[in-house]
Amino acid sequence: MPVYFLEIIVVALGLVMLMVDAFVKLEDKRSIAWIGMLGLSVVFLLLFQVKGPENTDAAFWQFYSANDTTALFFKGIAVLTTLIVLVMAVDYSPVVVDQTAKPEKGAHPQSGLGEFFALPMFACAGLMWMASANNLVSIFVSLEAVTITFYILVTYLRRNVGSLEAGVKYLILGALSTGFLVYGFAWLFGITGSMDLAEITTALAKPDINTTAALFAFALILMASAFKVGAAPFHLWIPDVYQGAPTPITAFLSVGSKAAGFIVFLRLATPFLASEPIVGKVTMVLTVVAALTLLFGNFSAIPQKNFKRLLAYSSIAHAGFLMMALASAPDKLVEGSKLTPVTVIAFYLGAYLLMTLLAFLVMSTMRKVQVSEEIDSYRGLAKRSPFLAFALLIAMASLAGIPLTAGFWGKVNVFLLAIQQKEWLLVIVGLIGAGAGFYYYLKIAASMYLSPTEKNDDTSAIAISPLSRVTMIALIVAIIAAGFAPGLIFGLMG
Amino acid sequence: MELTLNHFLFVSGILFAIGLSGVLLRRNLIVIFMCLELMLAAANLTLVAFSRFNLQDGQPDYDGHVLLFFIITVAAAEVAVGLAIIVALFRNRETTDVTKINSMKF
Repeated sequence: MPVYFLEIIVVALGLVMLMVDAFVKLEDKRSIAWIGMLGLSVVFLLLFQVKGPENTDAAFWQFYSANDTTALFFKGIAVLTTLIVLVMAVDYSPVVVDQTAKPEKGAHPQSGLGEFFALPMFACAGLMWMASANNLVSIFVSLEAVTITFYILVTYLRRNVGSLEAGVKYLILGALSTGFLVYGFAWLFGITGSMDLAEITTALAKPDINTTAALFAFALILMASAFKVGAAPFHLWIPDVYQGAPTPITAFLSVGSKAAGFIVFLRLATPFLASEPIVGKVTMVLTVVAALTLLFGNFSAIPQKNFKRLLAYSSIAHAGFLMMALASAPDKLVEGSKLTPVTVIAFYLGAYLLMTLLAFLVMSTMRKVQVSEEIDSYRGLAKRSPFLAFALLIAMASLAGIPLTAGFWGKVNVFLLAIQQKEWLLVIVGLIGAGAGFYYYLKIAASMYLSPTEKNDDTSAIAISPLSRVTMIALIVAIIAAGFAPGLIFGLMG
Repeated sequence: MELTLNHFLFVSGILFAIGLSGVLLRRNLIVIFMCLELMLAAANLTLVAFSRFNLQDGQPDYDGHVLLFFIITVAAAEVAVGLAIIVALFRNRETTDVTKINSMKF
């Protein structure tokens, strides 16, 4: 089966879910999510079965790269993220029903819930397409398919001021970054006379290119990508949007949107990094951006009191580590070495997916019993629900990068790559950042296990739905398994 | 005087700068949104100019036009969603002034 069938299946599933929502009388609309979850599980298994078509002469293949294992890995990230987001969304659905408009008389009490499950499917298809895009046109279209879907999802709780504000901020800054991106694309097209990434690479490598124009195009594309992945100094929207958006969507943004941003940036930066006349300046700018992101992300996270905001700053910090991997791109790829920016970033994102989604799963389960997302409200969680506390402990340990977790190997790979390229500044800043990370991640663990509970704290046990429990166990096992045998994730990259 | 590529690039650059400064300086969400569209228009003008002046066999390079049409379509979708979001916000807060949308700590 050719690779692009997968995107078609995901879009078709989304349409089926919309149709079921509109035309089938359901007692409980949460069953729509089950269609999506089952379908995505099948698509995830199909990922191991697909083979690109033999004949790739047709015009379609200008826009889509076949036979690309990295792309398949990123598609896996997209499908898995969407699957877990749907699991969270089912748990979160009472909040969605409560916070969307009051249904009219005679309408279904859960009206408006169906789209909340269907829209992530379209975003997923966009993310999957983006992984294979090899042309400026298809990169732009898939990126916008994802971004516009996210505008709607972030604003979904339309009776909640926080969600609306987050949506407007995301809309304006997202559209601004789109403006930068297309202007950058226009210049890139002007310099190289092509939309195809392979041809752009050849054209940029010529010694007689206009370096000023090429650097201008790179600056525009860098600004747009920094917005998407949340790299400094374009990270300011992240805390507000993450805090305001519905929790499952925050998780989707922080994993799916970041992974997508990085694969796009990776593809777009590669031609510039391979261009002899400008590579020095490009690497320098990337180094500065990576160092700033590491410092801003890690140090702003320290004083945070809201758990969701803390995870937002943590997501900026992780973007810093990923940028660090990109900034240490070798001038010439070392033959036989596993450590290239592509594999390091893919590994890091794989690990990041597991641990971030685990943290968000715990958070969205907690949201059912208490509205507050302050760190203080996790006080004494170890007594209320030892399982949730343990899951959050594993997630925090992995995010901090404690040995024998997936997150540890992610960071080790980044540092090894940076040391291999002798980027000492980045190594030092990265170590400082990772040190700060230990403090703020473990602060939460300490709050759960060590803080004494106060008189009016709720100490009743917390119910966890079987689906969430199974997903959490799977994520915990995956984090620890990848911690003991990091080769597992590398193996998936082929 | 003959029109050259530089004239077009200059105009589109000015258009982009006007759009960007509008986004940064104006306070009304609708005006900001219009300025964002101006930035996309600047990119479109640049694309057409490069297409027209990068002749291939005496014909303009139509790759640029393909991207341009996608930009127009995507911009339309973005406006549809964006205005809906702004209307939803207005119903809730009765303002489109960005300085008043500050309930979250920055």
